[in-house]
Amino acid sequence: MKSVVITGLGAVSPYGAGLVAYWKGLAAGVCTIRDLTLIETEGFRCRIGAEVPGTPAGSARRTRADRLAIAAAAEALADAGLGARDCRAAALVVGAVGGGMLEAEAWYWRGAREGARPASVRAVRAMLPSAHAETLSSRLGLGGPRHTVVTACSSGAVALAEAAELIADGVVDVAVAGGVDAITRICFMGFNALKILDPAPCRPFDQERRGMSIGEGAGFLVLESQARARARRARVYATLAGHGMTTDAFHVTAPEPEGDGMVRAMTAALRVAGAAPAEVQYANAHGTGTPQNDRIEARALARVFGEGGLLVSSAKSMIGHTMAAAGSLEAIATVLALEHGVVPPTANLVTPDGDVPFDCVPRVSRAAPLTCAISNSFGFGGQNVTLLFRRGVA
Amino acid sequence: MEAKEVLDELKTVLVSRLKFDPRRAAETTESTPLPKGIEGSIGLDSLDFIELSIAIEERFGIALDENQDLSEHFASFDTLSRFIAGKLPSA
Amino acid sequence: MTTRSGVAITGVGVVSAAVTGDSAALGAFLAAPVAPPDTAFGAGALAALVDPDEARRLSRVCQLTVTAARLALRESGLERDAALGLVVGTEFGDLGSTHAFADGFLARGPAGLSALLFPNTVMNTMIATTAIAVGAREMALTLNAPTVAGELAVARATAAVASGRVPAVLVGGVDELDSVVEHELRRLGLAGERRGEGAAFLVLEPRATAHARGATVLGEVSAAAWRALRSRPWGVGRARRSQAIEAVLRAAGAQPGDVGWVYASASDDEPRDRWEEAVLGAALPGGPPVSSLGRLLGRHAGLGVLRVAAAAWTARSGLLPVVNGTAHVARVRPGRGLVHGLARGGAHVALLVDAA
Repeated sequence: MKSVVITGLGAVSPYGAGLVAYWKGLAAGVCTIRDLTLIETEGFRCRIGAEVPGTPAGSARRTRADRLAIAAAAEALADAGLGARDCRAAALVVGAVGGGMLEAEAWYWRGAREGARPASVRAVRAMLPSAHAETLSSRLGLGGPRHTVVTACSSGAVALAEAAELIADGVVDVAVAGGVDAITRICFMGFNALKILDPAPCRPFDQERRGMSIGEGAGFLVLESQARARARRARVYATLAGHGMTTDAFHVTAPEPEGDGMVRAMTAALRVAGAAPAEVQYANAHGTGTPQNDRIEARALARVFGEGGLLVSSAKSMIGHTMAAAGSLEAIATVLALEHGVVPPTANLVTPDGDVPFDCVPRVSRAAPLTCAISNSFGFGGQNVTLLFRRGVA
Repeated sequence: MEAKEVLDELKTVLVSRLKFDPRRAAETTESTPLPKGIEGSIGLDSLDFIELSIAIEERFGIALDENQDLSEHFASFDTLSRFIAGKLPSA
Repeated sequence: MTTRSGVAITGVGVVSAAVTGDSAALGAFLAAPVAPPDTAFGAGALAALVDPDEARRLSRVCQLTVTAARLALRESGLERDAALGLVVGTEFGDLGSTHAFADGFLARGPAGLSALLFPNTVMNTMIATTAIAVGAREMALTLNAPTVAGELAVARATAAVASGRVPAVLVGGVDELDSVVEHELRRLGLAGERRGEGAAFLVLEPRATAHARGATVLGEVSAAAWRALRSRPWGVGRARRSQAIEAVLRAAGAQPGDVGWVYASASDDEPRDRWEEAVLGAALPGGPPVSSLGRLLGRHAGLGVLRVAAAAWTARSGLLPVVNGTAHVARVRPGRGLVHGLARGGAHVALLVDAA
């Protein structure tokens, strides 16, 4: 099995376009959750979320999500110093959920309210999650294996695990992988209907937490075989040393109460990486801010790493739950935490929950020389993923 | 509204919102337990209860606080209809 | 992705308008194929297959999925709660529930929203319900692609088994006909192709494992690869050279002439069908006989998986159902054949299938 390293990062987040803005915001603990403007929120209990500010670059003929994805993937390729020749055989794996639903909804709403919809091939085709991959591979000239994974809220992390397997198995030497989602009415309305949105900005791991906040963005990474990265003397941020993907097979929305599926994902990542639990110093948690998720995730972390065994924080406290982008944006946060030796905080955490036996880095980031960290992502349907990163070339 | 009328409304919700077969809904009585896993219950899980609470809010025009533990009221049709009747403005 | 594997097919489950059952039912249908008058699966037919208590919480497309998955698992002889991965390919997911969810809001505002329907608006709903139904706890991947989602799912599942990361995989494809999509395609003049619905599943496991537990091996996926051919989104490209076919031949140490027959993804979308013909013509100059079940069953992600099961049957029997106006069965060389899929937008899959 070939070793897989990270050589490029790209992010479009509620802090704006670019990796620099993303890390600056995270490290400063800035919460971007405020009144939503992209969609109507009249009559809903929760009316806030974390939007990408301004108008995303690119043609207005493309969906918002496609534009977010292009910007993040292009930044990752440039960051890695890869050109058109490198892209021809590169793999592309995209984690997606909403696709072009934001635009498809506007079209569908119009039909319901005005009685007629214009005929639109875009409404049918660009709506699908797979549309992002088609756009990206056409735009960036990626001609290797290409697929789109949909595992609900863990999609972005699964995309990275998929790319890592393609490289580890020797199918390709380079892959572009990540996740993207724009805010959609369906997502906003659905989580409202489930009554798991906090009317105030979400407070992961806080005693008073009331639910999650939705967000949007895109995070893409360039993954390479270590041999190729060394041969071209590329800068290596981190090694993606292990991953684990498991399924609860328990319930369509509720996590299994003992966290068994989460524990199996984390232990699988440790096993693949050949790492002992004590080596892991930081967990970038799934940390949605729902009473249930945070309690069960804390229990699962404690079962694997022991109570208080590592630092834990949730980027969702700052950028909301960016859906299919969450797993990849949070992987980028984990990689940058290793790179800078700084653990981003859990914003809005005022009263730590007694059921969470970890230092969750409240409100202010923490300097910590890190060598090994994990990023957890869990999705509806009990879709659990853990990614394990080591600093630099492991 | 009497508890009996509330019960009839709830049976309608079982079919329209929770997709129960009308015959199954008709078989339920006041004492039929709601939560899954209890002997003789109609077998509702956490997601069913959320759906039921939305339907109750819509149908009876009352607000339910999801931060409050309402499980004792959602134990059977009897407890639930009395809980709802108690929240309605008296006729 | 390229995989040289000894990956055995040990179970088949199919739910479609024309045939429902395991590998025997599929073989009987393929030996005397008749196109159903309607590619839609009747409501009564589905209700007969699903337990009413379970059906209450399963959307129609989830019912198709769970039913086909159980049929395949039963034929394989693997039990519930076996160490199983899941891979499901779909083009449209549960769009029916998505419309219903939106319609609730549009008719009655926030109170008209259904918490029960919301999880179905995400395409992994079929895999989530199937994982619960069969107790599958390993990795579970839903793959979304136009036209080739089923073939892609089988290719990805083959890689998972061949790499040893998962002991066995239940892999399927599923789609349902959606009234809004069908209406739009007709309005746009894109309704020329035959479209259908249904689900098909296979159980894949290492050949050695299958033999050790005494399972009947129905066929093998000897190599699998997927690539992207250059194309605009939703467009038909001009590239003819297939890296995917080259990759599977290389992985299996085979020559183009070793491919005795082909199942292709033709479905009367004429520009796309011509593109695929050109790609196959360039890769396989001998011009082996080509079948597409698209005209028989209508294009849907389940059909991509059904084609792999059909290919295993052809590899065993030397029979190839051909549909050119009318359906008939041709005699071909038994043994190695190719399952090929190419979508608008360039998603492209090749699978080499052999008899056991």
